[in-house]
Amino acid sequence: MQHTPPRLADRFLEWFCASHLLEEVQGDLYERYVRDEQRSGTSKANRRYWLNVLRFIRPFALKRQPAEYSQPILLHPIMLRNYFKTSLRNLAKNKISTLINLLGLTLGVTACLVIYLITNYELSYDTFHPDSERIYRLVGEAQYGNPGEKHPVGFVPNAVPAAIRKEIAGLETVAAFHTISTDVLIPDGREKPKRFENTHSEIVVVEPQYFDIFKYQWLAGNPQTALNEPFNVVLSEQKALTYFGNLPIEKMIGKEVIYQDSVRANVAGIVKAWSQPSDFIFTDFISFATIHASQLKKSINLDQWDDIWSASQAFVRLPKGATPSQFTAQFQRFNKAHFPKEFKYTPALQPLADLHFNEDYQDNYARKAHLPTLYGLMAVAGFILLIAAINFINLSTAQSVQRAKETGIRKVMGGSRASLVMQFLSETTFLTLLAVLIALVLVKPILAGFQTLTPKGLTVNLFSVQTLVFLLGVTVITSLLSGFYPSWVLSSYVPALTLKGQTALNNGQKGHFRKALIIFQFTVSLVFIIGTLMVSRQLSFIRNKDLGFSADAILEIRPPWGDREKGDVLLQKIKQLSTVDRVTLEWFPPMGPAYMVTKMKYQPPKKQAIETDVSAKVGDENFIPLYQLRLLAGRNYVKTDSLRELVINATYAKALGFRKPADALNQLIEWQGKKIPIVGVVADFHEQSFHEKIEATFIGYMPGQARNIGIKLRTKGKDMSDVKVTLASLEQQWKSVFPDHKFEYKFLDESIASLYEKEEKTGQLVNTSTLIAILISCMGLFGLAMFTAEQRTKEIGVRKVLGASVGSIVTLLSKDFLKLVIIALVIASPIAWWAMNQWLKDFAYKVDIEWWVFVLAGLLSIGIALLTVSFQSIKAALVNPVKSLRSE
Amino acid sequence: MKRTYLGEFEEVVLLTVAVLNEKAYGVAITDELDRQTGRSVSISAVHAALSRLQEKGMLYSHMGDATAERGGRRKRLFTVTALGSRTLHDIRSMRDQLWNSIEPNALPTIGLAGS
Repeated sequence: MQHTPPRLADRFLEWFCASHLLEEVQGDLYERYVRDEQRSGTSKANRRYWLNVLRFIRPFALKRQPAEYSQPILLHPIMLRNYFKTSLRNLAKNKISTLINLLGLTLGVTACLVIYLITNYELSYDTFHPDSERIYRLVGEAQYGNPGEKHPVGFVPNAVPAAIRKEIAGLETVAAFHTISTDVLIPDGREKPKRFENTHSEIVVVEPQYFDIFKYQWLAGNPQTALNEPFNVVLSEQKALTYFGNLPIEKMIGKEVIYQDSVRANVAGIVKAWSQPSDFIFTDFISFATIHASQLKKSINLDQWDDIWSASQAFVRLPKGATPSQFTAQFQRFNKAHFPKEFKYTPALQPLADLHFNEDYQDNYARKAHLPTLYGLMAVAGFILLIAAINFINLSTAQSVQRAKETGIRKVMGGSRASLVMQFLSETTFLTLLAVLIALVLVKPILAGFQTLTPKGLTVNLFSVQTLVFLLGVTVITSLLSGFYPSWVLSSYVPALTLKGQTALNNGQKGHFRKALIIFQFTVSLVFIIGTLMVSRQLSFIRNKDLGFSADAILEIRPPWGDREKGDVLLQKIKQLSTVDRVTLEWFPPMGPAYMVTKMKYQPPKKQAIETDVSAKVGDENFIPLYQLRLLAGRNYVKTDSLRELVINATYAKALGFRKPADALNQLIEWQGKKIPIVGVVADFHEQSFHEKIEATFIGYMPGQARNIGIKLRTKGKDMSDVKVTLASLEQQWKSVFPDHKFEYKFLDESIASLYEKEEKTGQLVNTSTLIAILISCMGLFGLAMFTAEQRTKEIGVRKVLGASVGSIVTLLSKDFLKLVIIALVIASPIAWWAMNQWLKDFAYKVDIEWWVFVLAGLLSIGIALLTVSFQSIKAALVNPVKSLRSE
Repeated sequence: MKRTYLGEFEEVVLLTVAVLNEKAYGVAITDELDRQTGRSVSISAVHAALSRLQEKGMLYSHMGDATAERGGRRKRLFTVTALGSRTLHDIRSMRDQLWNSIEPNALPTIGLAGS
């Protein structure tokens, strides 16, 4: 019974002991081990062996003998040239695998680059301001009624900023501003001033402190004094050019700009807009003092405490070293002191860096980016690059046998292992660099092609230092990731064996590693496939589920706020059109982003009153028939001039405790002190996106709110030219009533679809990444299949001679790969299930994750894998054995 | 006359190599040391001394046969060089000279009483 000494100790010895001493030392230790084992047993001998090995950690054993021949410098130019030449030859020789690797790496690098540009753009929002870490937005928590629901708001009551400046100690600067939406008039000496429509919230009324917190470059005007007086305005350079044409900047100062038709302001300064991405898109800064001096005070009541508007914004800068948490107590006292009534508001501070990402704090100007989506994107980029790297590893280790001779010769000629690793790595680096170059060329067209997916205003600077550093990082990491293992394997061959013609591959072990990598690749692809299936199922569910009302051929127009009579005139004119089926005066359509909740009370006989939050839908008597809301009981309300009758939805009826909808009829609901009868109950319909549950709702006519016009077109079939004619006639009517306003309309189905913009984007994104992942994985599989078929040419020949059919050979060659795909499915299913569950959690109405989705994904990937592999295996199986066996 | 200095352990190892005559290699030397002097030394210590002696030119070595119990590895066999032999002789003659110079009764008597 001969045992061998502990392997680990042996390995350790081999590692540290100088090579010229190793043989004798190890021999002596073995000899001693054998004696020890005979004398005192294996375990004691093992211990003694370890001890003896450790005792050899002495200078004489560690010191390497100087080599007899001088070693070439690792990166000598001559060797580099040689590496380059052999790389080129090798790449040219294995054209298909080179192509696969290059394509895969290019796809991976391109995906990485595109995603990097997008995420970098989003994450750089408003990071460039000086002292940006000390800038905070005044936000807060609002509460209506007691006890009412508290919810975060991204804005402040009008009176709060001034009070905070006075009462809260320790804030360095406070700057309030209001966004206003107004057209702009520029008098140019002629009879009628030029009118500029303003669609975004670009016009703000700001306190002078704004320019203290946010630094602009001033092209004209004095930042200290420009906004101190009423009726002054500071413009951005771009906006000033739009207003005044190519006037020299000095001459623009003092020019008149008219807001809201009557607020006349003089230009007191011109600033340069920031070139870096920012949510502060403002271009017209009207001085705050103008509010009191003009009609602006009607819409901006600076003494208002009891209500809150998203237009009212305030930013603060903290002194150095201050933290937002140290103001919490002061803010709570502030709340107690100023909000004794129904409406309560507690101020809070939102860091500037949070502005671009936090959807809880809504406002009128900032475009919110979804952070989890950005992180998801980064993960996708990483996985795609990883899959491409795995292709490289698999193909080059599979081919390494062919290069074993080259390795052998190099070693015999004195090449050290390090220099061989260097050589193979330089090959990978060369390929990666090529991929990076191609990616650089591709990135612009790709970004242009995916404009729907990229954030608005994305500007790309490919040759900034940051991007170049990123590319360098990607190159180095990819080269190491994909090149290190193959080069290690290749350089490990023992020349004595490889040159004799034996392939020194101990196949079992290496094959396992390769298989594991393929399984990983397919797991990633499968997760993507399942994701695609689920996302598209959910999206089609959203598109096709009955909403409870009709959204077909309905459009909405919004007459300018404030002119009731003209709105009615327009309504009458539209009614006359032959192409219009029905018209309603409404607040907003049944479903959309607009949502209004009010409190309503119902007093059941002999029971406690039920007071609930109820969503309000406002429209005249045509509202219910136009949208084809289904009446379950009762009737539509009749034409009135105020709120006299109510129709409620089934959910509200149930919430009030009525078993049958009909029971709710003629019951009285108390709202704002009035008792109003229920005359009808409609079936539930969706008011918000599928993320939200259907809540208690009533429909009624409130003339104050119902100012917009909903129009149902009389369309037979869906003829676009018909619709165009109708729109033209609508515009004509509009122009006859509102000649100064632009005609704008929205189709209801389109505005409903826009509720799911984010989901549609996710869908497209998952589809694209799935495609790329599958493509790269399949290319790798294809290359590998080709290679194994080649390797087994002789075996296949022999099998055919002995009578194997083509079918059995194809099965033989495909079976191995199929097994891997099935294992991948087993691993991928729970991961995909978890991920999809997370995504679907946000929906109140969603599809179930059903088992057949996984089966379908599995079948799909098996199909794809089979297709890829069978091409090669059929080719191999059809080869005439005479040919394959003749040579040699 | 300048002479290479030899440590006590080195001297003993060099002598043992001479004792083993043609069959001196790591394990054998260790065992012989143990047997002759009762000193249990580690193999690594012997190897260290051997390599030092070789650097000083007192030992010559060549690779010998491989055996199965060594896992097919060869032994390194050591022989004493002329310089080694000279050094050993020098040490010995110096010792003898010193011994001869000691007066007969200068050292306290030992051993007779105990035997």
